[in-house]
Order: sequence, then C-alpha cells, then structure tokens
Amino acid sequence: MQSNGTLAPFSLSIKDLPWQILWNKDKCTLCGRCTATCPVSAIELGVFRKRQVAPAVAPALGRLEAARNAYSLYYGIRQKTDPAYACVGCAMCSLVCPNDAIIPARSDEADKLRMHVDRGGQPRRRGGRRNVAGSLLDRIKFMRISMLTDPALDAGRHEFELRTLLGRVLPPEQSLRFMADNGWVPPVREIYPLIIGGMSFGALSPNMWEGLQMGVTYLNEELGMPVRISTGEGGCPPRLLRSRFIKYVILQIASGYFGWDEIIHAIPEMKEDPCAVEIKYGQGAKPGDGGLLMWHKVNKLIAAIRGVPAGISLPSPPTHQTKYSIEEAVAKMTQSMYMAWGFRVPVYPKISGTSTALAVLNNLTRNPYAAGLAIDGEDGGTGAAYNVSMNHMGHPIASNIRDCYLNLAKVGMQNEIPLLAGGGIGKAGNLAANAAALIMLGASGVQVGKYMMQAAAGCLGSESDRCNICNIGLCPKGITSQDPRLYRRLDVEQVAERVVDVFLGFDTELKKIVAPLGRSTSLPTGMSDALGIDDHAAAERLGIRYVV
Amino acid sequence: MPSDRQQEKSFYIISGKQDGARLESRLLEERVQEAVANGQRNLEIRAFGQHGIGGRLWKAGDEDVHLVVSGPPGQRLGSMGFPNTFIEVNGPASDDTGWLNAGARIVVRGHAGNGTANAMAQGKLWVAGNIGARGMTMTKANPRFTPPELWVLGSVGDYFGEFMAGGIAVVCGVDPQTPDNVLGYRPLVGMVGGKVFFRGPHAGYSQADAKLVPIGDEDWDWLQDNLALFLEHVQRPELRGTLAERSAWQLLAARLPHEKANRETRGMRAFRSEVWDKELGRGGIIGDLDDQDRSPIPVVTTGTLRRFVPVWENRKYTAPCEASCPTGIPVQERWRLVREGRMDEAVDLALNYTPFPATVCGYLCSHLCMSACTRRTGLMTPVDIRQLGQASIAARLPELPPVSGGHIAVVGGGPAGLSVAWQLRRSGHGVTVYDQGPGLGGKIAAVIPGSRIPAEVVNAELERIRQVIPHVHLQQRLAREDIRQLRRDFDFVVLAGGAQQPRRLPVPGKEGMIPALEFLVAAKRGGAAVGTRVVIVGAGNVGCDVATEAHRLGARDITLIDVQEPASFGKEREAAEAVGARFRWPCFTREVTAEGVVLASGEVLPADTVFVSIGDAPDLGFVPEEVATERGFVAVNAFGQTSDPKIFAIGDLVKPGLLTDAIGAGRRAAEAMADMLAGRRPVGDTRRMIDKQRVKLEYFDPRVIAYESVEHCGSQCSSCGACRDCGVCVEVCPYNAISRRDLGAPDYEYVVDAERCIGCGFCAGACPCGIWDLVANTPLA
Repeated sequence: MQSNGTLAPFSLSIKDLPWQILWNKDKCTLCGRCTATCPVSAIELGVFRKRQVAPAVAPALGRLEAARNAYSLYYGIRQKTDPAYACVGCAMCSLVCPNDAIIPARSDEADKLRMHVDRGGQPRRRGGRRNVAGSLLDRIKFMRISMLTDPALDAGRHEFELRTLLGRVLPPEQSLRFMADNGWVPPVREIYPLIIGGMSFGALSPNMWEGLQMGVTYLNEELGMPVRISTGEGGCPPRLLRSRFIKYVILQIASGYFGWDEIIHAIPEMKEDPCAVEIKYGQGAKPGDGGLLMWHKVNKLIAAIRGVPAGISLPSPPTHQTKYSIEEAVAKMTQSMYMAWGFRVPVYPKISGTSTALAVLNNLTRNPYAAGLAIDGEDGGTGAAYNVSMNHMGHPIASNIRDCYLNLAKVGMQNEIPLLAGGGIGKAGNLAANAAALIMLGASGVQVGKYMMQAAAGCLGSESDRCNICNIGLCPKGITSQDPRLYRRLDVEQVAERVVDVFLGFDTELKKIVAPLGRSTSLPTGMSDALGIDDHAAAERLGIRYVV
Repeated sequence: MPSDRQQEKSFYIISGKQDGARLESRLLEERVQEAVANGQRNLEIRAFGQHGIGGRLWKAGDEDVHLVVSGPPGQRLGSMGFPNTFIEVNGPASDDTGWLNAGARIVVRGHAGNGTANAMAQGKLWVAGNIGARGMTMTKANPRFTPPELWVLGSVGDYFGEFMAGGIAVVCGVDPQTPDNVLGYRPLVGMVGGKVFFRGPHAGYSQADAKLVPIGDEDWDWLQDNLALFLEHVQRPELRGTLAERSAWQLLAARLPHEKANRETRGMRAFRSEVWDKELGRGGIIGDLDDQDRSPIPVVTTGTLRRFVPVWENRKYTAPCEASCPTGIPVQERWRLVREGRMDEAVDLALNYTPFPATVCGYLCSHLCMSACTRRTGLMTPVDIRQLGQASIAARLPELPPVSGGHIAVVGGGPAGLSVAWQLRRSGHGVTVYDQGPGLGGKIAAVIPGSRIPAEVVNAELERIRQVIPHVHLQQRLAREDIRQLRRDFDFVVLAGGAQQPRRLPVPGKEGMIPALEFLVAAKRGGAAVGTRVVIVGAGNVGCDVATEAHRLGARDITLIDVQEPASFGKEREAAEAVGARFRWPCFTREVTAEGVVLASGEVLPADTVFVSIGDAPDLGFVPEEVATERGFVAVNAFGQTSDPKIFAIGDLVKPGLLTDAIGAGRRAAEAMADMLAGRRPVGDTRRMIDKQRVKLEYFDPRVIAYESVEHCGSQCSSCGACRDCGVCVEVCPYNAISRRDLGAPDYEYVVDAERCIGCGFCAGACPCGIWDLVANTPLA
C-alpha cells in the first residue's frame, strides 16, 4: 500500500502479517535470488527514498546558513502487505541468500491476516497440518526397563524381527475350522510396522512419489526390510502395477475411485499381488471432508494415471456415493476388493479418528474379510483442506486406538484384527517414540506421511503455520507441485536415500525402546504396562500408569 | 592325570572335599590363597565344581605358580588370573573360563563351556576341544600388555566374539562339534578390535563389524609358531602337519571405524539403474507416460526454467492522466517531448486530439488529468498541464489530407460538433457543420464569461478550426425533416446540439427568474442591467459565473442559494467568492416576487434580479422520433451511435458533461465512423490504465510544489507506463541480462537475455515508470 493510500478493511501492515521479513541492508548484495525464489512473491525490489536535512548553521560571523534538504535513493528488499502475497515463512529466501541478509520471523502476536483470508467469501484452505505444537504421544514414557527382572536385550547386539501382521489373524483352531468350512483363510502379510501412508500421485509431485517408492523398494530388495507404502487415492502408474515392486505397495481406493480402471486393466498382467488394499473412508486431517484436485494440477501425466481427461477438476467426495451404511461398505467394498485378486490380498478400511471408531470396529470383528482397521488421527497432514477442518475437527489418535484395542481385548480378539494408527506420529521429530507409544497402546503398526515429507524431502511445514501452501502447487521444495520448475528441485534418488535412512534410523530407535522391554521378535502391541505419563487424567483415560 | 612335567614337581594338594562333602568355593579359595601365601608354588586342586579356581594369585608376586586342576572345576576358572599363574585342567571346564583374565595361562584338556574367555584382557587360554556360546566376548587389548589369546582346537558356539575389542582367537576346526560351521551362529557382532584365525566352514559373521583379510606372512609365522605351543599344551602335537596347510586357514579382523561408517550396500544411483529402471523400464515409473525431463535443477534458474519472466510493457497501459482525460490526450507523451527538447511537437501533438488545446487545456478544463496524476498518491503536486495548454495556442496544423472518404453532416458547432468535424476532416472525410447561432464555438464562444478565457485565445482557435472545416452553415435552425434529409444525403449525421433549454423552478413567479444561460449570453454580447442586489438560485459553477458577471455589470449584494452544499469548485468558485458572493444552503425557494426570493422558511431574500442556474436540458425538437431517447436525452452506445446506425449523437444532447467530455465524445464518434467507413468494426481504445503502484515516485522530490516552467513540469512527470529510457533496469539487473536495443532513432526497446535472467523482478521493482512487469513463465507440463 502507498504510505498515504486509502484504507480498506483488509489493508494490513507488515506488523499484521504472520511473518515479517527481516532484511539487512548492510549484508544484502542485491543478487535477486530471494525474490526469484519466493514461492508466493511476498518480496520484491523496493525503491527507498532517504531524506536528510542539513540543519541550519550559525557561523561565527555573517548570516545564518539555511537548512537544506538532500535526498538519496537506495534499493532494497520490500515485503508486500497485500494479503494475496503475504509471506508464508518458508524461508526459501534465507536458503538462497548468499549473504545471510534475509530471514522471515514469526510475528510476536496473533496475526490479523487470519481475519482476511476469506476474501470473496471463500474461507481459508491450505495444506499442512493442524498447527498445534506438542503431542500427547511425546509425553508418554516407556518406563518398564528390564535389567534384572527379565532377560534384558541389547538393541545393538540381539537379533530383532520387528514385524507386524496385516490381515485377519484367526486363532489356530478357528483357522483350521475356517479352512475346512470355507476352503479359504484370510491372507495375512508380515510387514514392517512403519508404513508410509497414502499420499496420492497428484498431491505429490512425480519426483517425490517415485522417490518414496524407490526408497521402499530399496529397503525391501537391498536391506530385507518389508516396508510397505500406500498409494493414496490417485491410482498407480501402470508400470509399477506390472512390476514385481507392486508387492511392496498398498493400493488405496477412495471415494473418487481414481485410477481403478487402470488397476483393473493391469490385474491380468500383474507379476505379483499388491500387499493390500486400503479403502479410504476418512482422513485425519480433514475428517468428514473430501478432496479436490484443481483442474490446473491435472496435467497429462496425472490424467493418464487417474484415467481421466486432462484439465478438469477431480473431486473426491466426503463419502462413497453408493455406500450408505457400514454393512453396505463392508459387503460391497471389502468383498469386491478381495475378489479382484482371488482372495489373496488383504483389504482393510481406513477411517479418520472419530468417536464412532468403536462402532466401525465392532462391525469389522464380525466380518472375516476385514483385514484390519486403520485410524488416522487429528494430527494427520494433507495437501489441501479447509483450515477449519484441519484445526478443529477430528479425534486424537491415542485414545481412539486405545479404546479400540481395549474393546478388542474385551472380546478376546486383540491379536486378530490389526489396528493401524496414523496422524501426527513424529510431529515433533520423535518418530520411533510416538510409534512405539501407539503400538503399546494397541496399534499393530503406524502410518506416517508428513514425517516422510519432512525427513525425506525437506518439507518446510511446521506446527506454526509455516509454508502450508501444498494446496496451490507452489511447494518450494517440489514435493507437492506438478510444475517441473519446482519438482525438479527434488532429486528422486536423494529422496529414496533419505527414505532408507529414516527407516534404518527408526529401526534402531525402535529396538532401543523395545529391547529393554525384553521384546525382540514380536512387537509389544498393547503392552501398556510399559507406559507412563505425567498427567493423571490422560493416564486414567488411556489406562496407563500415572508417573511423576 | 598330571603331565610328565607336572610329575617332576612336587605338588601341594588341596582337596575340594572334606569329610566326604564338597567344600564351599569360598573355603577352597581361602585355602589356595593361604597355600600360596605360605610359599607353595605348585598346587594340585582336586576340584569338585568350585568356582573361580586359580584366579587372583598375586600373593606369589613374580614367582610362577603352577596349578593343576584335577576333578571337575566349576565356573570362572582362572578368572582375574594373574600373569604369574599357569593352570592346567585335565578335563573339561565349565562356563566363563578365563573371565576377566589379566594374564594367566590356562590349558583345558577337554571342552569348555559358555562364555569362555569372556572379557579376557591378557593371558592365554588353550582349549583342547570345543567351546560353548558367547566365547571370546568383550575381550580387550591393553596397549601395556601382550593381547590375550584364545585357542580352540574344535569349533566355537553361537554368538562368538560379540563386542570383541582385542586379542586373538584361533579356531582350528579339528573334530568340530558343528562341522558345517566352526564359528557358530552370528559371530563377531559389535566386534571393534582383534582378529580371529579359523579353519573350516562358517555360516556368516557380522559384515558390519568384521571383514575377511588375507593372511600375511607375519600372521602366518605367528600362527605357526604359537600353534606349536598350543598343540604341545593340549598334547596333540601330531596335528602340526594337518594345521600347517595355509590355504585351509582364514582370518577375520575388525573393521576400522571409518570402514564401518560406509555401508557396503548398493548406492541409490546404481540401484536405480540396475534394479529400478531394469524392472520398470527407462524413465522409471512414468517413463512410458511422460517424456518430461525430471533431472534435478538448481533453485535459482535461468532460461525456460525460470518461474517468472520480465516483460517490457512499454505503452501497454495508459497513463492515469491520459486515461482520465475524457478527450484522451496522452499527456505524459507531451511531457516526454518536452523533456526531449521537442517543445513544438509537444504543442502540436494536442491537435491530434482536440481543436481547443489552448482554450480548454489551458483555461477552461477542470483538469481531470491533474486530479488523476500519480504524483498525488505521494502527496506531490500534479504536473501542471495548463502551462502546456496555454502554449498550445501556437500549435501548427499539419497538412490536411485530401477529402477521399465519406461525407458527414454535423448539426451543432459547439465543442462536441467541432471536435467530431475536426477529427473527421483530419482523417480525410468531408464534413459540413450546421449551427443555429451566429458563430462557431457554442457555449465556449457565447456563454463562458470573458473573465475566464481571453477572447483572443478562443478566436485564434476558432480561426484554426475554420481552416480545417470550411463548410459551415450558421443561423441554420434545423427541423426533424431536415435531419432526415441530411441522413439521406450524407453517410452519417452527427447530432451535437447541446443543452440549450434552461431548467426552471416550478414555483410561483418562476417567469420572473432569468435563466443563467440567457444572462451569460446577453452579458457577453454587451450587457444587461442587473441592479445591485442579485440572488442566484443554484450555486454550481455556472451560478458562480453568473455571480462574477453580475458583479462586472454592477451588482454588489450577491447571494447564491442551493438546496444542498454547493457543488461549485475551482476557479469559478474562487472568482465568485472574490467578488463577495455569499453562498447559502440549504435554502428552498417557495416563491419569487417583486421583492425577491421567498424561502420555504418565510424569509425573503431581497433582489433586483433573480437568476436560476440549475442546469440546461437538451432541446430534442429537431431529433427525429425514430431516434431513441431516454429521460430527455438521446440514447447512444459507447461510440455515440444512436438507435439509427447512421445517426450519432454527442455532447450535452446525450449527457450533461464537461467541455472535455464533449470533445472526447466527438473524437470517439469520429473514430468509429472512420472505422465503419473503412469497413472495420469500431473497437475504440482497449488499453487499460496502469496500476499506479507500478510507478515509483521515490525518484522525485516531494517538496516540489510549483513549476517554474514547462521544462520543469516535464522533468517531474513520472511518465507512467511510458519508458523514459533511463536505463535503470540495465543497471539494476544483478546478472546484466537487460540491454537496450536501438530500433533506429527514435525507436528502441529493452530486451532480456533469457539465458542470463533469473526472473528476480528487480527491473520491475526499480523501473520509475512501471514499464517492466514480472509474469509467470509459460507452463512446462
């Protein structure tokens, strides 16, 4: 705004914005890298006028010498205040600055921008996460340390088989009976308990998606770790479907049904069965809401993979359009998905964290086709959602998983239907600790997405509303953009390497946690006597020990 | 059974039993220590499972102590063994033999249990058979001493050598307990030092910690030398030959820390080419769908990889002055010519747009261009166009083109009619002007007081107009049928009759009010008696003109009344105030009487003369009925075309407006008619006004409040949207990507070298005139 311009209700000063650009005139070399890089064009070259007034001088003799004005100009980096160009705090400017002359700083008070991001009546939409720092999971301690009470294990020395089961595990006698009665038993996969959760081809850039897949394949084929990855809803590239690598992949089907005709066409040519099929009913980040891939992101490539024409918007409705009840969902979806691969591939639903999770679970216990239940808690991430859905809707994962597990235990089925937990695992960087806490609360495995973005690709998102522009295709790291000018910033191989690093590091940390518990060959699922928390109410709620 | 050597000595015997019962380990230890303290150096321990036999014999100092253990020893034989100690066990040993051994030599002439040599730091342990699990774990090598040695004739159990940090283990593989794997399951996990010679098959070891190394000559010589001693101790010298076959031996050594850091796994690049692309095909998962290059690029890029590209948008947008001038004069262009020293051209340029550059721009206009001037956004004084306007009296007519196009009749010789005729003639069309008055110029000539515009200026410009428009018919009052005839005779007819019908107040005595229009015409012609007291109903700018003229004609008590705050402004208002006119509002007129004006409040404003100045309306009496009208005005489109395509209407006949509105409407109508006569669809000027924020006023001195000259004005014009050719962009570009290209004087352009440009937008940020824009690059995908 011009310094003397007229005011509109949405006229903001730099102070009103969430992020302030701190620019150092002395250090700046005016190289232009920051303005060329800023994803949202929040900064530009500014022309600054400097006025100096030489004061009047009274000489020893003679007349007073008049005061004089002198103007000079300088160029510098100016932050825009138009809400449409508000700094998102990604700090790419700092990243590319050769002189450390520029950095965004978080405002010291709640910004005013938030009251003006609904211009035109469209409330704020964004990518990212809930933007609430801290996590109950981080407060859970593992306090059962066996030294002399149990055979203590050594994470560095002992052998560990940290695997979990995905699929309906029938008790032995029931399994035999089931086989005799039905000529079939539900398939079960032995997989690594840390799963890369569904992030679609389309939401992610081609380089990011391929990097994740490559890393997972490397872990399987080079390091023998049976890591699995969900495709997310957006189909699966035909080549991957027809490769042996498909066995490391969990195919997701969701309410948009994108890419499934391509999958069906590929089934006769598949060399291997996929690991599993995940039916997405809900997403932790935006419970009860659907998705929309905007038309401008639907390029030729994405269109081909999703089996749609290019240049049209692709809605994934909040609900599956022909499934009106859980009975119907289970009957239609689960069984149909089993049929696709001759009942060889486990099928499980994924729901967002909800107070109705128990009702879903109870239904699944009565259905031998249900291979598990994945629950995505409120701290899950997304490429695009309404701010209100992300910030205010959903259920924390810990109590949701705990309730489900205890319910299974009550009916004696706690080892039969695996629960997969997701949403905010590792949000503060404590991936293994959070995962172990959820496992000990009752999860058979955990799904992570955001953490992989950050660790494998350098996502700049944080819990303080930093960046969070995944939804507009301008991801400065090239993770969620379909623009080659952005996604080519991401090296496929380096992403894959980082995926490998993350899993190896996680593996060691998980061993460090479970070894003192005396566990080495089976996950301590539901081993809640090892857990403690310094919050009495939380301890009561989760049925774990209160420790101070 | 004691060896030959043992038999030569005399051994002090300590029994592990007393009175037929097993002696406690503590008591046996006390007896051994006591015997050594008493000088015994050769002892035979008839063990019965006691633990810790043979360790800690430091009471003998440097003197050798020789222990022969007969009977079954318990765990931790020789633990914390001292360098002076030599222990022979004539049979198997239990677990943890040699635990924490600090120098004792121990022979076990049988198998040894689990944990053999665990944490051994010095000394030697010779085992004639196999050992159990976790042998040689946590062994050390203290640089002050010779490293410890474990010799095993057979095989070792599982988890051998865990965290082995030094010493040498030799596994001979003779009659092994596990013939297919002499090293056991998962050996050498966490090994950081030492080495392991072995002979025979193995089933793997910790690749992360240990590595197979060639047996060098030095290693081999050491092995052979010490092998002889081992075989002698375990009384199997006959094996010397069997174990001398060098090729049967292998050697494992700990990986050095820097070797551990590098995982010996396939690199991702190799994995991609050898595994990934091999299975999926060239280009990976989407190689079949997309040929887009997806290889890594830097964040800061040039050429087609830039996200943004600068565009030199010279004259793409209109300057605010030009955009706001109803006549459409490119004011900033005139200032450019002034800056370039082409004053004559700056003056002449105006004639392309108006026949009245001096009269209107120099005197009568309310100067919307100056109101819109970008400089005002910086609280700076707008560039003063009046100076240039007044200078335009000297503007020279270019040579007129011959009449070769259409013929157009213009009804009305006021500013609108003259403007359209002027433009049409200058573009080669024939025009004939009709006016009911005695002369051209309409209200400019007949109504506007001489105080506001010198007569010689108006006359000079009217004279110039007459040179352009020779066919003028004055005193022609045309009726509807005449217009219809003109329509038949000409290609187009333009109605520009103006607003000639004064509006009156519908109050009693209204006939006693003199319309402002009539008064001003009369006053200008020569005079009219007004008396001393005057009331003017309607305090707009025309009312102000009435007040000024009335004062000139003798009025001294002048009151202007209005129903609302008067809309008058500018020079007219100032002139009225200067002659002492009072402005009153809100005043509602009830009646006009001989005394003056009676207000609704009952108050009487005494007046010799009462004027009404509430506007004039068009007289539509001559407009053919088939031309659509709306609320008393002729209805037209954006080009002034009426519902009859051959009839245009402009000026106050269409909508009350300023002089400049009328002139602009004439110009636009003329352009449209010229387009239509040439068979083109008229489009008008489609350019949009530049966003003022693109213009950088910081380059100008905000304290300039008056302009000394036309040249001074020119220097302070920010030239919005039109390049000043200052070259700031060339200098500010960090990568020297911008250059000026001469297109033959005076034309030029600034161009960007895409291969040098990173799309930073500095050019756009610095450009004083807002020429450069930074736009998104063409999408790649």
